Amino acid sequence: MSKADIFIRRRIETVAGLLALGLSLLAIRAIDLQWLQKDQLTDLAEKQRYRQFEVVAPRGTITDRNGKILAESIEVPSIAAISEEVPSDRIPELAKTLAIQVGELRQKLKERSGFVWLARQITPDQAQAVMALNIPGVRQETEWRRYNPLGPETGHLIGFVGLDGDGLEGLEHSLNAKLAGEPGIRQVSRDARGHSLPGGTWLREPVPGKPVRLSLDATIQSIAYAALAEGIRSQHAKSGSVAIMRPSDGAVLALANWPGYNPNDFRRYKPGEWRNRAITDVFEPGSTLKPFTVAAALMSGRWHPDSRIYCEKGAMQVADHVIHDDHPEGWLDIPNLLAKSSNIGAAKLALDIGPSKLYDLLGEAGFGQRTHIGISGESPGIVPPLERWGPVETANIAFGQGIAVTPLQLATAFSILANGGELVRPHILADEPADEVRQVIPAAITHQILGMLEYATSADGTGSLAVPVGYRIGGKTGTAQKVDKNGEYTKDRFTAVFAGVAPIDHPKIVMVVVVDEPQESIYGGQVAAPIFRKIAENILPYLGVSPQIENDKVWRATPIAADAGQLPASGSLAGLSLREVRRIAADHGLQLTVHGSGWVVRQSPASINPLREGDRVEVWLHD
Amino acid sequence: MNRLAHKLFWLLPALAIALLAVGQVWLSHLRYETSQASQKLQEEKKSVAADVTQLGLEVASLTRPERLRRIANDKLGMQPPHPMQVVRP
Repeated sequence: MSKADIFIRRRIETVAGLLALGLSLLAIRAIDLQWLQKDQLTDLAEKQRYRQFEVVAPRGTITDRNGKILAESIEVPSIAAISEEVPSDRIPELAKTLAIQVGELRQKLKERSGFVWLARQITPDQAQAVMALNIPGVRQETEWRRYNPLGPETGHLIGFVGLDGDGLEGLEHSLNAKLAGEPGIRQVSRDARGHSLPGGTWLREPVPGKPVRLSLDATIQSIAYAALAEGIRSQHAKSGSVAIMRPSDGAVLALANWPGYNPNDFRRYKPGEWRNRAITDVFEPGSTLKPFTVAAALMSGRWHPDSRIYCEKGAMQVADHVIHDDHPEGWLDIPNLLAKSSNIGAAKLALDIGPSKLYDLLGEAGFGQRTHIGISGESPGIVPPLERWGPVETANIAFGQGIAVTPLQLATAFSILANGGELVRPHILADEPADEVRQVIPAAITHQILGMLEYATSADGTGSLAVPVGYRIGGKTGTAQKVDKNGEYTKDRFTAVFAGVAPIDHPKIVMVVVVDEPQESIYGGQVAAPIFRKIAENILPYLGVSPQIENDKVWRATPIAADAGQLPASGSLAGLSLREVRRIAADHGLQLTVHGSGWVVRQSPASINPLREGDRVEVWLHD
Repeated sequence: MNRLAHKLFWLLPALAIALLAVGQVWLSHLRYETSQASQKLQEEKKSVAADVTQLGLEVASLTRPERLRRIANDKLGMQPPHPMQVVRP
């Protein structure tokens, strides 16, 4: 073999060796890729081929009972950035377009690496201006923003949601689980250019938030809010609430508070201003509790509507405490006790029947416990335990002191009177199934009390300013001293209340008006009653209740009857109204037994002339 | 004849393969176009749904009772009816 042959052979062997080495390396690499890095590379390939993204579920709409939108979510742009990709020299122009300080923007970008929010829920125009700058790393995202078209009018009730879409206050908070829904995850395959291909699959389907329809009526809510605001401004009062319910089924038609706050811009208000006073704040109901004291007395069987009670001419000592009446009274029958709003009369009734009967009735009527209407922050109110009901406490609670209620609780309790004695739990959701109805007070007694409450709104009563022209209503005024930080009653701060039912024959609404710390007048009959009238005269026609001209005539005739107040010469009461008969009986100290309603058609004895003080007269009335 | 048959024996499969290749490219293009159109329609649907929501909100805002009351009182000089003027509510 020549030298040249040997050289060629060596070259062939070298090339063959290099080829063998290369093949070996390829084989090793193939083993590395196919076996050792298989899982990792498969994942990487899947990620390149597939794209997953979160699909936010829209929040459910809140509407009133007529379908009017009270809260709705719409998509709005937000600006985000990948912090390390944003060039430092572009920050000033970005800050200017976002209308924030340059230092603040730099701080946001420095706070963390990767994804960072720069401005959330901004206007489309602003977002467009930012994206037009074409700054690397800056991107536009879409978020849901909640809008409340009625603003402050429904602010306390509806509440608001945070930037992340969670309900933080009001119904948005308490119904969050239903309204929020659940975001979904969708996977789509992509082509070589990164475009999504059809036929994506849901890894998890989004569950849209469910819509919620309330029993609330936006028109009634608006009327109540406006009338309350006007009443509070005219009285230079601190705040106030109105609760309106339909007694037949417990539907809450309005729940207004003043001052209101705008949930679309809730950060401008202090957290204390967000609370729904109609369910969170308690107050002493004052005389508005007397109908329940009377009901307990009538249920005991020891007292009747015509029973008379001596009101001690304005002052009565109970243990070491003296109870006063604003207007000293002598003998009063039960209707006049309510009409004149005698504290002493109510206290005597409660002391006579004993504390347990009144305590039981208050508990049955829902005082001292939450209504469970489904709005967070509801207060149970305060009813002292029975062990603490001594004579003074019993007497005080009988006329609404030493007990605390929410406006909604009081409206619920008055619904019992309007509802033939049946307690219906209040509810705010339109489609909520009705709870079991519970008879709390016998129907016959509630009818008697409604008659008395109508009398309390006559010219003889304290609530005459609550009566809308052309309607017959029943209601009770209340004026309660407020308690200071030391638990002492103040002499210059009061709560004025009116609770009523309209119309009296077939009650469509029960309404409670509470005005906190009025300045021009302190009395419920002068402060809260006119607000009640203003609201009632607007919403009763809206609810399809026509005013009656006959009713108007009756009320116009009332002052004449009141002026008369004389025993007829014949001694006959025929043709007189119950109100006139009561006045005559009270003025002459006669005990009265009444049958029916309307006008007197028969009486016993035939003439009342021979009767003396304390004698009994029986009358039959007919429409 | 034999030569022609021999040529066709090679040509037909080649043509078939070429046709299948062109068909595959065309299908791929069609798929891409359909995907684009579908995405565009989805975007349009989403946009219309958003418009409907926004318009619903605007209607709710424009017809809020407080605003109607203010316009009725201030602009049109209207007042709530007296009770006796309400004949059939």
